[in-house]
Amino acid sequence: MVTYLVHGLIFFLQETGSTPQAGMKNAMLEGLKHPDLSKFLVVGALLFIIGVAGVLTRRNIIVIFMSIELILNAANLNFIAMSRYLQQTGSVNALAGQIFAVFVIVVAAAEAAIGLGIVIALYRNKETIWIDEIDLLKW
Amino acid sequence: MPLSSYESLFFWIFGIAAIFAGLLTVMAKNAVHSALFLISSLVSVAALFVLSGAEFIAGVQILVYVGGVMVLFLFVIMLVNVGAEEEGRDEIFNKQRQVTASLIFCFLLVLGVLYAVNKGSSTLIRQNLSPDAVSEQQAARNASLNRSATGTSSITKDTEQIGSLLYRYGSLPFEIASILLLVAIVGSVMLARTLRQEASADDLDPEVLKDESLRDPELIRLESANQE
Repeated sequence: MVTYLVHGLIFFLQETGSTPQAGMKNAMLEGLKHPDLSKFLVVGALLFIIGVAGVLTRRNIIVIFMSIELILNAANLNFIAMSRYLQQTGSVNALAGQIFAVFVIVVAAAEAAIGLGIVIALYRNKETIWIDEIDLLKW
Repeated sequence: MPLSSYESLFFWIFGIAAIFAGLLTVMAKNAVHSALFLISSLVSVAALFVLSGAEFIAGVQILVYVGGVMVLFLFVIMLVNVGAEEEGRDEIFNKQRQVTASLIFCFLLVLGVLYAVNKGSSTLIRQNLSPDAVSEQQAARNASLNRSATGTSSITKDTEQIGSLLYRYGSLPFEIASILLLVAIVGSVMLARTLRQEASADDLDPEVLKDESLRDPELIRLESANQE
């Protein structure tokens, strides 16, 4: 598993589609010098995973909301990177990704407003923001 | 879409900054620190948006997220802050077992992502996409843009294109989004009302009123004032 991770990292760092005979070190240097779509996607995926980890591990409900914002932002990063890639390959719908990003931001804003309203109502009634103490539905 | 020269430097700086700020958001003890780290993560991602040629989205990100949503977050943190976590009296993470399970889950996600990048990146379309060709393409596109008043930079067409696309192809989702925002406004106002505000709007369950008026006799008066 660890060797697989290391292989994946090496592959991530080298330029995508580089020929094998160019040498691994050279390819990695090229990949560092010319980051492309896959690097954007990996940054977005790492942000997403950090957000998932935050949602699953934290006890403070507000920090969980912030992790959700992180997740939505990672999705936005993917949309924008794909949009740029499609612009350069000359796709007709290249800007659709940016339109989607606008709607993701709208939904995130609505979600934050509603969620924080719920947090305030909850704090008034239960005097806590720790999610493991909010267990009214537990039987 | 290989970037080159200073663009790649920007990418690494802001990409790594976004990831580290995201990590610190999740790990910070104090919720206010979390919010500030989240702001820096969002700003770094906005810089990546600029790098990808999405200037409008980057502006919206800064205005809506950093200027609006995060201020709302900070307000709520100030309203409900218990202060116990930073003094170390309360644990900030879940129980050991839950944390271990979720970290294993996240590790598997990382493996899946690396696998997907391994498999998928070889199928990216690479025709005419050598770094030199891309920077030439970029320079040609920049040359066709209008110059700004100072003459040192050019004005992007991104906002114009997004606007026309939004109204031409996305007008129905646009209207639905506006209804969603209206629902969110009404919902959050309804949720955040106090008991007194609910009573004076004659919107309180009679039993709740009976129980709560023992503690707060004012509620009855507010409720009956509404009846007349």
